[in-house]
Amino acid sequence: MSSFKAHSVLPGFNLALGFTLLYLSLIVLIPLSSLFFKTATLGWGGFYDVATSDRVLASLRVTFTTSFVAAIVNALFGLIVAWVLVRYKFPGKRIIDALVDLPFALPTAVAGITLATLYAPNGWLGQYFAAQDIKVAYTPLGIVVALTFIGLPFVVRTVQPVLADVEAEVEEAAASLGAGRWDVFRRVIFPAIFPALLTGFSLAFARAIGEYGSVIFIAGNMPYISEISPLLIVAKLEQYDYAGATAIAVIMLLLSFSLLLAINALQWWSSNRGAR
Amino acid sequence: MSITIENLNKNFGSYKALDNINLEVNSGELLALLGPSGCGKTSLLRIIGGMELADSGKLLFHGEDVQQRDARERNVGFVFQHYALFRHMTVFENVAFGLRVKPKKERHNEAEIKRRVHELLNLVQLDFLHDRYPAQLSGGQRQRIALARALAVEPKILLLDEPFGALDAQVRKELRRWLRRLHDELHITSIFVTHDQEEALEVADRVVVMNKGKIEQVGTPDEVYAAPATPFVYKFIGNVNMFHSRDHAPWAAEHGDAVAYVRPHDIDISRIAQDDTALPVEVKLVRAIGSIVRVEVALDSSSEIIQIELSRERFDSAPLVIGDKVFIRPRQFRVFESGVLNELSAA
Repeated sequence: MSSFKAHSVLPGFNLALGFTLLYLSLIVLIPLSSLFFKTATLGWGGFYDVATSDRVLASLRVTFTTSFVAAIVNALFGLIVAWVLVRYKFPGKRIIDALVDLPFALPTAVAGITLATLYAPNGWLGQYFAAQDIKVAYTPLGIVVALTFIGLPFVVRTVQPVLADVEAEVEEAAASLGAGRWDVFRRVIFPAIFPALLTGFSLAFARAIGEYGSVIFIAGNMPYISEISPLLIVAKLEQYDYAGATAIAVIMLLLSFSLLLAINALQWWSSNRGAR
Repeated sequence: MSITIENLNKNFGSYKALDNINLEVNSGELLALLGPSGCGKTSLLRIIGGMELADSGKLLFHGEDVQQRDARERNVGFVFQHYALFRHMTVFENVAFGLRVKPKKERHNEAEIKRRVHELLNLVQLDFLHDRYPAQLSGGQRQRIALARALAVEPKILLLDEPFGALDAQVRKELRRWLRRLHDELHITSIFVTHDQEEALEVADRVVVMNKGKIEQVGTPDEVYAAPATPFVYKFIGNVNMFHSRDHAPWAAEHGDAVAYVRPHDIDISRIAQDDTALPVEVKLVRAIGSIVRVEVALDSSSEIIQIELSRERFDSAPLVIGDKVFIRPRQFRVFESGVLNELSAA
């Protein structure tokens, strides 16, 4: 213990570490571990049955694919929004900047109902999609729309400061060396903001996996097609099948954790190149 | 490649950054743009580099108008004060950048890129750092890498914006001598911006002194120091004493409202009046600084301080102490009448 704190000049290591561990335990580890204990009452066989049931597998597939697609969409368009907010001056910029945070502040159910109304086949926007034979509301596409809505701020807010930090001089240097605009973006700007973009992506992704409120109104919640795992958990709870509900939660938890771990590793690798 | 600048103007809002600049840069010379901050020297450099556009006027490279050409098409190397290295790339990749972004048909193969980069890194004596990242280098090393990077594309013109401005005194001195030697090897037409007169005088073939968006004087380091064209140049380059004809200095009196400028080392001190133009003064401060001795004296008629520099030898042959009453007389001075050179004089 004393060996890795010996060199620090900062005081309060023991206190700070102790507090961190206690706090994490109370807020994160104990509630999550109780999930595992409750699930354990099923036994391996019971757990396996829940985990491999068609309806659960289908819901997991819907949840993770829609979340992934939404996070990708957010990464792409969030980057553009951040770019515009950082690089250009235009009237109303502050208002647009403030608008970005609205999905954070709005109750998710309100967002869900609004989106469902807008994108319903007879809604303001839905009617145009319906004319093209595209159904948005009550399909997985609708889920992607809702998840994109709630995930946008994560990407914008993580990329924005990093992008603002890229010095104009670095771009001028690249241009004077003969690099075209695309080369400047691809070789100079993008590598600099990639770790932040990845953080934004993983935050949006994680948020989307756990999202419930906004999705259930627009999803239609048809089993095997547009039913998300969190809804299935709620359904199990309503049937007093607590162990079954926690079993799904455990599966989601493990999947999310390994995905986030992988993203973190990728991020560690990308930001470690030259960041020291 | 020579550079010709004709009637160049640049405004930032109502602020005149460059006011009708005319300048000829000879092929292969090392030119310093010298001036206080805000004098327009960096704007001029950035316009030559294509990072900014002039409002009016002409900019010619070797007789060819380049105003419409983008920075990437001008074949100009640019070195920034804060290096502007690519943080996420190794030293090798930084230097190779210019070679890698060339259009496909001009691009060298990997082996040739490797050869050239190592050649450049050897030129700046930092090949052993090729796999490091910029954050792991010292300031002086970073600036040498930035220079190698700029040289990689074989520019016809090299522009350096306060290249040593962010370095400490010792490293600055080493690097500017090194830059001078490098220039003697490569002979690229180079312009560097600085606010440090010592740097400009030591490194450059010619010095352009700028103030408030205008060129005050263009000349060799010796010319701008020994024969300043304007009072500003006198004050900006080296120390100077001013003698107003109204108050004192009989040698300037005949010009009416004029000011005589005298360098501190161009003043003789004597115990007895040399002639009737000598000024009686009292020694206020004596301080030995390295090879020179700085003496501050005050005129009897006013409290104004005059700075005098003596060589140690000269001082030792006739030592002074505070409170001594002596006479001073300039060996050499220039008289400016309301800012215009009126007379050069060697008494």
